[in-house]
Amino acid sequence: MTFEEAKRWLLAEAGRRGVDLEVLGSVERRLQINAQDGKAGETTVATRGGMGLRVVDGGRVGYASTEDLSEGSLAWALTEAIENAALQPAGAAALPAGGALGRHDLVDEGLSGTVAEKRDKAVSLETELKRDPRVQSVQYALYGESQGETVIGSTRGVDGSYRSGRASLVAGLVMRADGSVKQGFEFAHANDFHQLEPGRTALRALEGLGRHLGARPLTTGRRRAVLEPRVVSTLLSLLAYSLSGKTLAEGKSALAGKLGERVAAAGFTLVDDPTLRGGLASRPFDSEGTPSRRVVLVEDGVLRSFLHNTETAARTGQQTTGHAQRSYAGTLGVGITNLVLSPGAGVTPGDGVLVTDLMGVHAGANPITGDVSLQAMGLETVGGETFPVDDFAVSFNLFELLQRIDEVGDVPETHADPRGAGAVTAPSLAVPDVSFAGK
Amino acid sequence: MVDTHSVSALLARGKAAGADFAEVYAERWRRRVLRVVDGAVEEATSVVQLGAGIRLFFGHDVLYGYTNDLSDAGLTEVLDSLVAVRDDGVGRPDAGGRGGLDLRRSDAFVPLPGPRVPPDARDKRWRLERLREADAGARVDPAVKQVEATLAEVEQEVMVANTDGVLADDQRTRTRLVVHVIASDGVETQTGHHGPGLSVGLELLETHPPAEAGRRAAEIALTNLRARKAPAGTMPVVVGNAFGGVIFHEALGHLLETTSVARNASVLAGRLGEQVASPVVTYVDDGTIPHAWGSTRIDDEGAPTERTVLIENGVLTSYMVDRWGALVTGYRPTGSGRRQDYTFAPTSRMRNTFVLNGDTPKEDLFAGVEYGLYAKVMGGGQVRPGSGEYNFAVKEGYMIRDGRIAEPVRGAMLLGKGPDTIKKVVAVSDDGSNEPGMCGSKSGYVPTEIGQPHLLVSEIVVGGEA
Repeated sequence: MTFEEAKRWLLAEAGRRGVDLEVLGSVERRLQINAQDGKAGETTVATRGGMGLRVVDGGRVGYASTEDLSEGSLAWALTEAIENAALQPAGAAALPAGGALGRHDLVDEGLSGTVAEKRDKAVSLETELKRDPRVQSVQYALYGESQGETVIGSTRGVDGSYRSGRASLVAGLVMRADGSVKQGFEFAHANDFHQLEPGRTALRALEGLGRHLGARPLTTGRRRAVLEPRVVSTLLSLLAYSLSGKTLAEGKSALAGKLGERVAAAGFTLVDDPTLRGGLASRPFDSEGTPSRRVVLVEDGVLRSFLHNTETAARTGQQTTGHAQRSYAGTLGVGITNLVLSPGAGVTPGDGVLVTDLMGVHAGANPITGDVSLQAMGLETVGGETFPVDDFAVSFNLFELLQRIDEVGDVPETHADPRGAGAVTAPSLAVPDVSFAGK
Repeated sequence: MVDTHSVSALLARGKAAGADFAEVYAERWRRRVLRVVDGAVEEATSVVQLGAGIRLFFGHDVLYGYTNDLSDAGLTEVLDSLVAVRDDGVGRPDAGGRGGLDLRRSDAFVPLPGPRVPPDARDKRWRLERLREADAGARVDPAVKQVEATLAEVEQEVMVANTDGVLADDQRTRTRLVVHVIASDGVETQTGHHGPGLSVGLELLETHPPAEAGRRAAEIALTNLRARKAPAGTMPVVVGNAFGGVIFHEALGHLLETTSVARNASVLAGRLGEQVASPVVTYVDDGTIPHAWGSTRIDDEGAPTERTVLIENGVLTSYMVDRWGALVTGYRPTGSGRRQDYTFAPTSRMRNTFVLNGDTPKEDLFAGVEYGLYAKVMGGGQVRPGSGEYNFAVKEGYMIRDGRIAEPVRGAMLLGKGPDTIKKVVAVSDDGSNEPGMCGSKSGYVPTEIGQPHLLVSEIVVGGEA
C-alpha cells in the first residue's frame, strides 16, 4: 500500500475496533557523498520510512510502528498498539481533534539535480580545502541531502501531508602551522542545493580554524566574553531543554513558575518560528497535526511561553504551541523548529575573550541546572591586540549568564541544532565578567 | 518480500553497469519490548522493520545503499544511484540487464530448529506476569531497592541473492530476558544484572524461570554491597566460565575478523599456523549450535554458517572471513558475514565464540594459587583493536587465598593485551558454558554468544586500590 492507502485502511480498522488512532507516516531519502582524493569516497544512498501508530483507548496510550505497509503488518501493528495501551495504568489521555491541513511542498525543485552535480560539490569542497598548505588532512568534504515526506491522519479528523528537505556541506579538517595543530568543522545548509557554495564554505572553514593556529594557553581569570553565533546556538539549544513543556511536565525545568518574569537581560528576544519562509526546520503542522505558528518564548528578557504538545499542555494546564515532535518509531515529545534570537545593535570590540567554539557539550553542560563548564577555543584581546588562545575552559550558569548579557550582535548565523532536528539562528552575545580557567 | 524475478533483473542490471559483484538483502523484523520497573510498565513497544540493502563491488571498493521501498522502481533507484556515484555521474544504461540471472535456491544448509512457543502464542498480560515474577524473585533482601525487568523478542525473515546465483533465506526467532537490580545499604549503591537469551520463542521463560534470573541479578548486587575494594597488583586470576569469555571475545575474537585482518589493523594478521596461544587453548566460533543466541542457518551474505576452529591447541588455524575479506586476503570464507539490519553492509563478525573444555577439574584451578583473584562474573570493558589492549570490570569477584575462594571484592579491573593473556592461560577446566550478548562493530549490533570454562591465567594486572 501507499502511505495514503495505509492511513485510510488503519483509520477505518481503528473505527471498527472502537479505538482512537493517530497515524504518522514519514519517509526520508538521504544522499551523502564524502569526497576522497578528488573522487566520491564513502557514500550513503538510503530511503527509510514507516508508519507510527498512537492508539488511545480508555484514556490509555499505546504505540507501535511498521515499515511494512502490507495489510498483515498494519493489522499486527494496530493490535500491538491496542495491547500496549491496555498494559498502561488508567489515565485520561485523549487524541487532539483536528481538521484538514492540506498538502504542502516546501522543497519544490530544490534538490533536483544529477548525482554528479552533487558529488562535484563535495569534490570541489575538498579541492578548495586542500589548496591551503596549512591543511594537514581533510577528514570530511561531504555533500549531504535529506528530503522527506510526512503524512498524518487521525480518527479525530486530522489529515494532511508535506514535503521538506535540505542540503548541506560539511568540512572537517586538521590544520598545522609551526607545530600548532587544530581540528575543526564548518557546515553550510540550504533548502536549494544550488545555493551551496563549496568555495565559500571552504574559506569559512579555513579562516575559522586557521585563526586559532599558534594559540597560547589562556591564563585563569574573569574577563568579558563575546560568544560567537555558533557558541550562542549551542547555548540556546541547551536552553530549549528548559523551555520544553515535556521538561516542565516532568518537573525538571529551571524555568518552572517563571512565566511573566524576567529570565534574561532586556533586549533578549527568542522566538520559535516553524512558519519561517525558507527556514531549515519549517513545517506547516507538528507531529500531532497542530497547525504551526510563531511562538514568542522570551520577549525583551521576559518569559512568555514554553513549547508544548497537547499532552504536555494538558499536564501543565497550558495550551499546545504546536511543537509536538516524534518520529514514526518513537513516542510523543516536544522539539524546537527554527529557534531565532533577534539581532541587537551590535557588539562593541574591546578587551576580553572571543569564544569561538565549545567542546564536549554532552558531558560538560547540565541542561537541568544550567551549569556549564566546557573546553573552548577562542581569541583573546588585550590592550587592543588579538591573539589565539587554547587549553582553557569557560564556566558559567546559563540562566545567570542570560541575565547579564550586555550587548547583542547584529549579524545572525543559522546552525543546525546539535541536540535535535531543528535549526538555531543567533547573533553574537557579549557578557562581562565570565570565569575562564586556564594556566 | 521481494519477488525472485525482480531481484534477478536487478542483479543483472548491476553487473551490466560494471559491478564485479552485486547482492540484494531483504528482511522483515517484528520486535517487541516490554520493560517493567518495580512492577509497573515503563515501556511497551512493537515494531515492524522492513527493508532491503544493495551492495556492489567494483574491485575491492564496496558501495552500499538501502531502502524500504521494495518496489522494482525503489530498488532500481538505489542501484542506479550507487552506480552514478561510482561512475561519471550519469550511470550506464542496462545494456545486458533485461535477461536476468539464473538464481538457484540453495539447500546446502544445516537446518536449525524453530521456536516451540512462538511469540504470538501468548498475550501481553502473560508477559507482564512473567516480568513481575522476575521482580518478585529479586526481592531477596531489604537492600534491593529497584528491579528492572525487560523482555525483548525478535522474529526476522531474511532473503539474500547475489550475482553468483545464490538465493537463500532464513527465519530467526530470539527471546531475551534481562533483569537489572539496584541494591543499597544506605551508604553504598551497587548493581547486578542477569540476562538469559536464546534463539527460541517464549519457552525461554520456562527453561529460564524469571524468578531465578531476578534472584541471580540480586545476588550479584548484594555480594558487591558487602564486598570490600579489590587490591591492585599483578596476580594469578581464575576467570569464571560463561561471560568470563568476554575478554577473549573483545581482545582476541575481534582481532581475528577479516574486517581488521585485511586492513592489517590486527596484531594477529598474517600469522596462520603460528603458536599464538597457550597449548591448552582451543578457540571456536560456531554458528550451527541449535537454539544458541548467535546461531543462524545462513549468514547475512547468504552463505551457510559453520563451525570454525580459530585456534587449535594454541595454533592459529583460521580467521573469520566474509566475502569482502575473502576477496582481499584470499582466505577461505567461513560464513561470517553479519549485519545488524538492512541499514548496514555486512562485515566479518563473531557468532557463538568460546574456549573449548579442558581436563582440569575446577577446584584444581584454585588449588595452586596462594594469592590471586577469582573473577567470577565479568562486566563491560574497552579494547583497542589494533593492539588488543583491554580493560574489563569484574562484576562479581573474590580473593583467592591459599588455594581457596575467600572474601568478595569489588571494583577490580583486569588490564592487559588479549594476545599476551591467551599465552598465559595455564589450565582450562571442563565446565564450559555460553551467555548471550550484543556485539557492536562496523556492521552494527549483532547477537553473539560468549563462553568459556573456568580457566587460570598465570598473571593479569588487576587494577584496584593500591
